[in-house]
Amino acid sequence: MTQLSVPAAGPRGPHLGQRVYRWLASIPTWILWGLVIVWSVPTFGLFVNSFRARDAQIASGWWTGGGWTLDNYAQVLTPGGGSKGLSDALLNSLAISLPATVIPIAIAAFAAYAFAWIPFKGREWSFVGVVALMAIPAQMSLIPLLQLYSGGGHWTVPFLNKTITVFPDLSLAGQISSVWITHTGFALPFAIFLIHNYISQLPKDVFESARIDGADHFTIFWRLVVPLSVPVLAAFAIFQFLWTWNDYLIALTMIGANPANIPATVRIASLAGEFGVQEHVLTAGAFVTTVLPLVVFFSLQRYFVRGILAGSVKG
Amino acid sequence: MRKRRNLTKTALLLVVMALVAAACAGDAANQTPETVVVTSIVTETVTETVTETVEVEVPMADPFADTAVTVFGPESGGAEEEAMRAALDLFAAKSGIDVTYLGARDFSDQINAQAAGGNPPDIAVFPQPGKIADFAREGFILPLPSETEAVMNDNFSSAWTAFGNVDGVQYAIPTKADLKSLVWYQPARFAAAGYTVPETWDDLLSLTDTMIADGNTPWCVGIESGGATGWTFTDWVEDLTLRFEGPEYYDQWVDHSIPFNNPQMASIWQTVLDLWNTPGAVFANSGSIAATSFGDNGQPLVDGKCFMHRQASFYSAFLPEGTPAADGSEGAVDVFYFPSVGDEKPVLGAGTLVSAFRDAPEVWAVMEYFASADYADARQRFQALGKGAAVTEGVLSGFLSPNVNADLSLYAPLEQSFLDILNTADIVRFDGSDLMPSEVGAGTFWTEGTSAVNGDKTIQEALDAIEASWP
Amino acid sequence: MEKLLTTILGVVGSVGISAILFIGANMIFDLAPRHWKWFSALVGFLTTSTVFLILWANDLLLSPGTVTLIAITIGTVGGFALGMTSNRWLRFAYGAGAGMALGALAGSFSQNVFGILEDGTPVVWPARPDLQFGPLLGWTIGGALVGLAIWVLNSRQKPAYRSALFWGTVGWIVGAYMVPSLSSGTQSDAILAGTVLGFGIGALPGSKPLASALERNRVKEESRKYIFLAPAFLFIAVTLIIPTIRTLVLSLRDRRGDGFVGVENYKAIFANSNTFDLSDWRLFFTSRLFWIGAIIVLIGFVIARVRGKEIGTRIQGSPPSYATWFVGGLLLSAAALSVLRGTLFNNLWWVITVTLVATAMGLGIAVLADRAKYESAAKSIIFLPMAISFVGAGIIWRFMFQARQPTAAVPHGGQTGLLNALWVGLGELSASTWPKLIALTLVGAIAIGLTVLATKAFKDRAMGLAWSSTVALVPVVWFFYSLIVGIGGWANGRGEIILFIQNSPFNNLWLMLVLIWTQVGFTMIIFSAAIKAVPAELLEAAEVDGATESQSFWQITIPQIVPTIGVVVTTLIVLVMKVFDIVKVMTNGNFDTQVIANEMWQRAFTELNFGLGSALAVVLFIAVLPVIVLNVRRMQKAV
Repeated sequence: MTQLSVPAAGPRGPHLGQRVYRWLASIPTWILWGLVIVWSVPTFGLFVNSFRARDAQIASGWWTGGGWTLDNYAQVLTPGGGSKGLSDALLNSLAISLPATVIPIAIAAFAAYAFAWIPFKGREWSFVGVVALMAIPAQMSLIPLLQLYSGGGHWTVPFLNKTITVFPDLSLAGQISSVWITHTGFALPFAIFLIHNYISQLPKDVFESARIDGADHFTIFWRLVVPLSVPVLAAFAIFQFLWTWNDYLIALTMIGANPANIPATVRIASLAGEFGVQEHVLTAGAFVTTVLPLVVFFSLQRYFVRGILAGSVKG
Repeated sequence: MRKRRNLTKTALLLVVMALVAAACAGDAANQTPETVVVTSIVTETVTETVTETVEVEVPMADPFADTAVTVFGPESGGAEEEAMRAALDLFAAKSGIDVTYLGARDFSDQINAQAAGGNPPDIAVFPQPGKIADFAREGFILPLPSETEAVMNDNFSSAWTAFGNVDGVQYAIPTKADLKSLVWYQPARFAAAGYTVPETWDDLLSLTDTMIADGNTPWCVGIESGGATGWTFTDWVEDLTLRFEGPEYYDQWVDHSIPFNNPQMASIWQTVLDLWNTPGAVFANSGSIAATSFGDNGQPLVDGKCFMHRQASFYSAFLPEGTPAADGSEGAVDVFYFPSVGDEKPVLGAGTLVSAFRDAPEVWAVMEYFASADYADARQRFQALGKGAAVTEGVLSGFLSPNVNADLSLYAPLEQSFLDILNTADIVRFDGSDLMPSEVGAGTFWTEGTSAVNGDKTIQEALDAIEASWP
Repeated sequence: MEKLLTTILGVVGSVGISAILFIGANMIFDLAPRHWKWFSALVGFLTTSTVFLILWANDLLLSPGTVTLIAITIGTVGGFALGMTSNRWLRFAYGAGAGMALGALAGSFSQNVFGILEDGTPVVWPARPDLQFGPLLGWTIGGALVGLAIWVLNSRQKPAYRSALFWGTVGWIVGAYMVPSLSSGTQSDAILAGTVLGFGIGALPGSKPLASALERNRVKEESRKYIFLAPAFLFIAVTLIIPTIRTLVLSLRDRRGDGFVGVENYKAIFANSNTFDLSDWRLFFTSRLFWIGAIIVLIGFVIARVRGKEIGTRIQGSPPSYATWFVGGLLLSAAALSVLRGTLFNNLWWVITVTLVATAMGLGIAVLADRAKYESAAKSIIFLPMAISFVGAGIIWRFMFQARQPTAAVPHGGQTGLLNALWVGLGELSASTWPKLIALTLVGAIAIGLTVLATKAFKDRAMGLAWSSTVALVPVVWFFYSLIVGIGGWANGRGEIILFIQNSPFNNLWLMLVLIWTQVGFTMIIFSAAIKAVPAELLEAAEVDGATESQSFWQITIPQIVPTIGVVVTTLIVLVMKVFDIVKVMTNGNFDTQVIANEMWQRAFTELNFGLGSALAVVLFIAVLPVIVLNVRRMQKAV
């Protein structure tokens, strides 16, 4: 296959010569790799600087080198006085990110399926309503949610003026579950939106023939929709994992002053020091926390390979 | 040339291990105190390990068994956090209370969220007395019980305890002090150029002019500090307010009994900006004052790109690695008092105070520990260790305790002199922006000040905007 | 090790419990068609356990454990009995009997609890109503009459007594539990109130005939949509809807949410000159950006007109004119929004720039990478910034944007920030002699090559290539010219730096660059998935018909992925409108870079001014709402 945006080389342009066209045809690839380089330069700069001492980072550009040290990594990785090391924080991050990725995917996939293929009254508008919730600035939900987790949910019945405990005080505040519950809720509108867009475009006849064969929605969902939706589910899984893994604000707010449960981002950010005197350590910290998400990305990315979808639709 | 000294590298690791001897088995009536070995290991970057063993006596009958206290504060990262933790671990080993500390750089926002969300820590370390007053009036924090207050009064001068006093009730205990009215400089460079340390404000101005005339750059100024950009400027304004208008005006200005945009304030801003905008007066490492990170000024000061840098006592941490402090050596840095106008020598200070959110005996026990000289000394010792004191003498810890019973011998000579200034000054005032409501003190005072420094707004526009934002 | 174990347990536990709950719910309804009595028993079990656990949680029961256990047994047995009996009278007896037993049980073990809430307010949890028979009968009979009236209005479809029973029960609840005092009744009152209530509730299913096979199947089918949607709605309600209602209420109240202030907070937002500043609007028409942008847009029209002439229409869009319109539009918006200042316009600027650029780049990269060798390597690198936290991104871009007071003696003026080093280095280049000549030769050669190419292509009627190279020629020639007259940070023999973060208003663009840098990975991945989902047969068919690559891209791929473009654009608009982290980390709103979300954070969290913070949140929400609703509605219609 030839490259993009190249006109038919054929008979209309013989005097330019095939070689020129072939060379031109590779321009898009050059553009792509140029972009790749531009995109990676900032990160590469951080990577280089993560091996340089603070004074070197301040005094000269990363491309000049000098001041090499492993101190930054040593400071990130070693446990300090009485505090647990980074490994605990990384485990906490996992304990937050994994449920916060798996659970919303499942919930959103079911809801997206219902919005797409189960007819019910007010379906379109309730879908619009759910998606519209994407517009809510999540920060404003933090304090009411923290109140819910720390003191339970109470509802004062109108007119009666009696307060009922709707949600018991489970002392969730400071616990890891409070973080992923929050992430799950915040992620759902976008997840439903994204997955619905995909599921609703699946060929209609697949569903109709399955219905005629007597399959109910639960069976259709498991047997047909989930296998067909792997690319979009994987895409969302990657985003959600990265967002929750890199989240700082929600975790810090929900965990509060409980050092045993802080995730890696909070731990790393706190290395910078009150006035930022240790900010140079963050260079190494950023890399240490990025390793795991990259592993996740690389392991999921084969799902994007062409053919998975086409093959399964045909088969 | 300076010789590269391996030994002055920052110590990496500071571990306090509490090994409680399991000798309590057997005769339960045996009430002899058990010895607890607290080991503190400081690992040098490559080679050195320093082990410190502290023997602690613990009573067998432990009233605080199975109790836990959480402490939340802004001191995070590096030696500060480790020293705080080590000092608390020491107390935990003695008392049996499980004390945990968590430091977060955006503590100020977070403590608001935690308090409003009903999930506050047991004890918070506040860098702003203004917030303590706010929280006291909201009913978030608890007044000190009389025994705790008594312990505090034994250890602190009324000048410092006053910062934790809200409407006549004591809510907080001071735990750390910063001395802000300082100018960092290199004595050797001054001597070489024939400059003398200025004694008065006029001296300072004429020294500035002399330096410019000599082709030297007198000042390093940078007010960039990420989300808190502008606080360096407010420090200058506060210091000059204290000097030009006196403490009474300062107090009225801080509690807003005079409007922020009054003419005196405008003239102080003018003084600061005139000095900064004098051609050749300021070396801004990143091209402009507003763009330069205050922390990046250590290197140019040591390199002689500028001669003076007005910054607080904790600035030692920002100096290039291995810079000697006031030991008379060639590249050593020292400080002089930011000169005053009259005979009085007012001092601008800052620091942290602890307040409690939960009423429980173990919480007050930890609070009393914070009030004691034990805490002040343990914290200083661990922080100095963390900064490398185990391998070099005279290392600046960056920590100062306002505790009058603190052991001065634990401090490097330069920091002893800081404490001396703090303890003997006639007039000590807390950083004004930390006393004002956060709309101003952590808001418009910084941002409008930055606008004025950057030339985006006139002084009057900026002052009017600050006044309008006062809640 | 222990930590590892608890982590694994926590993850497996939370995911596992969620899965079991969900699959269990589906399996319960799977029982319905074939094992109706067991299904019915389960329903009885779940209903009674829910009700009694709530009573228990609110401390309304004496010896709650035993009572709940007994109640659950009664409920389960009652459900089972109802599920297997078809005799009308027996059914009624089972239903009403179980209900009355449960009601009596709850009534006789009820207790009044006097407690104190955490904030100090004394509370009485109600349990024993002080029955007064006059109003009680009035409400109940009234309710029953309402029920009959509704039955009449509903064209008398269902049996009349069921409607009367239902509304009578509602009347009883009002008369027994809402009207009288709930804390001063006796035990017998409580038993009576509970028994009658239980009778009403139990008689409702009891008076229905046993479900037919058809109905049982319908129960199973109908249950699916509720089960599928319920978890989502539960989470959304708790984490988003309820807090939003609270935000709405708070936005009408004062700083700490104590007093009602009406729309004062909203007025305060729009009265602030930092939010809204139109004073410089005239500068728009005199700015260079405006003219350049306008000219570029015009060029696009010229190209479109020329192409239109070729095929006989008025104007014909094609990739070269789309590209020029895109660039010109961006420049025009930058021209407009660099003179209209304030938080709201900043947000608008962010939305326009980041959405357009990130969408276009993501699509472009996805297409380019789709055909390239080492596709996954290229995509991974573009994607890498997504994996870096905002804290990391802040540090990274600090190293990019940083400026240093230039020192003449050092290469690139001793810059530590890459962009300034390049800028000063460019200045050094244009001030030098030999390196400059070499650079000029290179750039000149490229320009000549492009010119030759364009001429030939025009001759060959290869219009796409011709216009593309003509458009590409413009910046090359411009660069050649500026290199001669001098470009980059060099003047009067010394370097000159750019304060990327401090120089308003274009510092906003540099902050946007950071967001674009992180978000292109996001758009690329989604587009990539969409492009791969385009049926290969369509593309093969187009190839057989002789379509060029670019034709099949514009005419087949693009229409196929339009819904995805809609998703990406909608998501980006929302995400960019709410932009927060980057501004907070890089400037915290200083230097005229404030955006709504950061302002909201400062008001609500730094200053604990919930009124103003909430009002800003509402403004943000309402500003994005139409975009979402319109987009989603359009997409729904398209499907």
